[in-house]
Amino acid sequence: MTDVVLPLLIAVPILAAVAPLLLSLRTSETGWYVAAVATAVEAGLAAVVLSAVYDGARLVHAVGGYPAPYGIELVGDGLSAPVVALIAVVSVGVVAFAYTGGPRRNSFYSAFLLLVGGLMGVSVTGDLFNMFVFLEITGLATYALVAADRSDRSAVAALKYLILGTMGASFFIIGVGYAFISTGTLNMVDLSSRLAGQYTARPVLASFAFIVVGLGLKAALFPLHTWQPDAYTYASDTVTTFISALVSTVAAYAIARVILTVFTVAFFEAAPLARWAVLTFATVSILAGGLLAVVQSEVKRMFAYSSVSQFGLVIAAFALATPDSVLGGVVHLVGHGLMKGGLFAAAAILAATHGARTVDDYARLGYRSPVVAGVVAVLGLALVGIPPSIGFLGKYYIAVGAVRAGAWPVALVVFLSTLLTLAYVARLLERLYFASPDAAPAPSLDAALADGGETEGESGADAAAPASSNAGDTRTVRSVSVGMIAVVGLAAVAVVALGFVSPGFETLLEPFLGGVFP
Amino acid sequence: MTEIESLRPIAAVLISVVGTLAILAAHRRPNFREAVTLVVSVGKFGIVASMIPGVLAGDVYVWSLGSFVADIPFALRVDSLGLLFAMLASLLWIITSLYSIGYMRGLDEHGQTRYFASFAMSLSAAIGIAFSPNLIVLYVFYEVLTVATYPLVAHDETAESRAAGRKYLAYTFGGGVAVLAGSVFVYWLTGTVTFSSGGIAELAASDPAFARAAFALLAAGFGVKAGLMPLHSWLPDAMVAPTPVSGLLHAVAVVKSGVFGISRVVLDVYGPETVAELGVGLPLAAVATVTLLAASVIALRKDHLKRRLAYSTVSQLSYIVLGLSILSPEAITGGLLHIPAHAFMKLTLFFCAGIIHVETHTDYISEMAGIGKRMPVTMAAFAVASAGMAGIPLIAGFVSKFYILVGTVSTGDYVFAVALLVSGVLNIAYFWPVVYQAFFQSSEAHDAKPLVENPLGGATRSNSPRSDGGRPIDDEEDTEAPATDDEDDIAVEDAEADAGEDPELDPEDLGRPDFSGQATERDYSDPAPLVDGEYAVDRNPSDAMIDEEPDTTEDGETSHTERDDPVDVDRGDDTHADHDHHGGPPAGGWDRRGWLGQESTWFMLGPILVAMTGSVALGLVPHAAVFLRLIDDIVSTALTLGVVF
Repeated sequence: MTDVVLPLLIAVPILAAVAPLLLSLRTSETGWYVAAVATAVEAGLAAVVLSAVYDGARLVHAVGGYPAPYGIELVGDGLSAPVVALIAVVSVGVVAFAYTGGPRRNSFYSAFLLLVGGLMGVSVTGDLFNMFVFLEITGLATYALVAADRSDRSAVAALKYLILGTMGASFFIIGVGYAFISTGTLNMVDLSSRLAGQYTARPVLASFAFIVVGLGLKAALFPLHTWQPDAYTYASDTVTTFISALVSTVAAYAIARVILTVFTVAFFEAAPLARWAVLTFATVSILAGGLLAVVQSEVKRMFAYSSVSQFGLVIAAFALATPDSVLGGVVHLVGHGLMKGGLFAAAAILAATHGARTVDDYARLGYRSPVVAGVVAVLGLALVGIPPSIGFLGKYYIAVGAVRAGAWPVALVVFLSTLLTLAYVARLLERLYFASPDAAPAPSLDAALADGGETEGESGADAAAPASSNAGDTRTVRSVSVGMIAVVGLAAVAVVALGFVSPGFETLLEPFLGGVFP
Repeated sequence: MTEIESLRPIAAVLISVVGTLAILAAHRRPNFREAVTLVVSVGKFGIVASMIPGVLAGDVYVWSLGSFVADIPFALRVDSLGLLFAMLASLLWIITSLYSIGYMRGLDEHGQTRYFASFAMSLSAAIGIAFSPNLIVLYVFYEVLTVATYPLVAHDETAESRAAGRKYLAYTFGGGVAVLAGSVFVYWLTGTVTFSSGGIAELAASDPAFARAAFALLAAGFGVKAGLMPLHSWLPDAMVAPTPVSGLLHAVAVVKSGVFGISRVVLDVYGPETVAELGVGLPLAAVATVTLLAASVIALRKDHLKRRLAYSTVSQLSYIVLGLSILSPEAITGGLLHIPAHAFMKLTLFFCAGIIHVETHTDYISEMAGIGKRMPVTMAAFAVASAGMAGIPLIAGFVSKFYILVGTVSTGDYVFAVALLVSGVLNIAYFWPVVYQAFFQSSEAHDAKPLVENPLGGATRSNSPRSDGGRPIDDEEDTEAPATDDEDDIAVEDAEADAGEDPELDPEDLGRPDFSGQATERDYSDPAPLVDGEYAVDRNPSDAMIDEEPDTTEDGETSHTERDDPVDVDRGDDTHADHDHHGGPPAGGWDRRGWLGQESTWFMLGPILVAMTGSVALGLVPHAAVFLRLIDDIVSTALTLGVVF
């Protein structure tokens, strides 16, 4: 019976997405309450899934009662449960953050809830075409959210993301098509058994290539990442917090699902070139993302390139396809979601309080916003991989997996990624705490430059950006409350606390890994 | 040997985490904040010391949180080697805290809350390192130590200290990555990373190439903090930190944690037998020997006292690594004994450097002539500690060095024994001048320091006057000399050049002594004739130094500001550039202070004397001072199989 939770996970936010639009016929700014209720319900449902999977169950639900392989199956197992939990927790966090900070327009929350539904759909679906549908829902909602603050820069960024994202989705569906013509089925488990004999057939190889490239574009792997820095940088801060934590995460999860459940490890053994191709791109992504991040001066852009690097690490872990590395990949996927979401949220608070957008602007903020700067420090160091933190946990397992698989270049790059990440994190931390006092900007902000120009026309529109030294910066959150600081503080605590929970992760993924690696 | 489950190990680690939070909370009440530091440090030492009787009796205290990553537990385990390091760190923290109070308040430093909080956190990490039962927990605390000590290195918030901080992070995190890589290798080769006395058994049976690679990674990773060349470069730059930081952390806690890591690797991960079989002991000993000698030679040239001490630290740490890599029981005993011995002595030396800085703002040895008058107790302690560094009997350094010497000779590695003896001589060479000039010379008249002042490779021409009196116009090359000379602090002028500038001068006018034995017209009761307004003899000062005025050179102040020309007076990184140059003796020389502590506050003098007494105690009664008993215990368990090599 618990498998009913799975379709509810998808249906609740999608249905709830309609409510704000309906409500806006009467009131405005009630969308937040709908979102709050919906995400709270989602959190409860996710907890149910997580505890069921932790106890060893594998939840399967046939949508509409149509049996697989004809019908669509929804599956909750060790790989999807952590992602579902991550989506739920981050949604709750962002909604809490948006109470004071984010947009309060009803339309925003409609798009937001659609996105949550889409993300949940990708995470629990057991059907390849259904995954495409939810990827598209996710993508469309994300394009809308990126452009939500209605500035020209975010519109261009959203357009770029739309074009590239649709290309990615198209590649994905082409790949699915090749898989379909090779086997006649779209159900993942069924596909895996039918693909078994024909791993080296051209259509199958082509299918794998197209699917991975399409999803790689969505996960922003180098060199398919070019939409990401602009989208993250120019979207409004609340939106960036949400999408950085979840959208690429879910795409990376999809890659893992395709590799491990659909094509299986046997495919890599039959066609080693496929594994090495993915590993190479992932490894290059680690280095390229890190190097590009080091040279950035704008903080949001720096974090965006950091994501490119971190996802390289995750995809490399999945491509290595050993028990340790897959466990490490999942741990790092979840951990990165929390760390990057927390970092963007903290950056949003600092931007709103001090108008700090570039690394130079962060001079000595460690003393003016000690709690938030402390959160940046903790999350940054966790991203580097300093124990005890979930970042270290993921890196350790991936490193062990790489060494055990004998993939020495990958192992070397995994170790070097620590130093590369350190380069940009340490730069930020040094600026926060040890910049010389004359470099720090004056505390007074030009309050008069609150811009009303671009957001006029909407009643109760999200108020113009607060006093910010960047005139016309529509990305900034409306204001900062203690609750928002508490949310980022909780993120930091969670990241460190989860560093001690490796037995929990192992128990959670044990049945799944046992199934994948016989 | 029983394992006692106890909360004491984790209590010892966490007490200063609690202390850190309390210090941060008490930032508005400095006296309360300092009280927290003192109470926490005494408490930490108390907890650690309470475990001594049990460990000496053969028990081991353990505490575990359960599985941390893979099947590696997050646990703490107190055995003799861990207790050795923990006792040292916690005991010295007490006296360093007292010293810090005197130092920070004496200089009216900024950011004291951050300072004391980071210090407490660093000590927590150090105790965690001491009590780690496996490589991963060691790595965890190793990284926490780096993060906690970084604010202390970059404390001054100047460009120089930020640069030093960045270098520190780059080196120590690089080392951390190497340690992690090595640990992953060990885990992959053997399935475990737990320290086992005598070494992890499976490591001996695994592929030697990978085992050697893992050893190299671990040794390099720990070697960064242990100051093995060429990974030592962060240490001299980290001397921009306040002196208590340089003392406790960069002579005791941080660097000793690197050495501790190496000792764990040699004794408890590989075990002496496997190290010998793999043949990795000799390369490590070679690296240590090169470091020993090279660092001592570099120290000879350093004018900045703290940098000289930094290179001395680099050199002395390699005594420990050398002792460990020779693998005989005496050598290991000596190496491990040098951990506390060097700690006490080097702490004394650093504290002396710090108190001199606080009281007189003097950092450079060339300005410290005659300072024994102003700071007698300090310089006496300096003398005692430096004697110990050189290996003079009755002080701690002798005991440990003797053991290592016996160890090297007993295994037939005479080259290492010779290196140790040469290093002892070099130690005297770079410490003795400091002590001698402090007590037996004065700021008006002291020896030149050719090693410090002259450029590498020698000057283009000699300082001393030519024995034949020189000639008025000499070679072309000498006319170039004055340009370079002008940048020397010492107003050395070339006899020939000046004579060359004045061709009308007849050397006969200089009253050259007549060696012909014939009668002289010169009546020596008259003063010598003046040439250009000064006596001939004063035109070429040599040993009898006139009071060094910084402004006598043409460049005036620039001689003490940006020094871009490293060729002549190679202060290298010793530039005065960033410091308000108000060091050195006041006009009229140093004041005289008595021997009863009138030179400074007892907050600083007390710890200096305690540290000095500790080094003497370790030299006189090493067994009664618990350390040697612990070490005998360690060595006997590690080498149950007898002598190796």
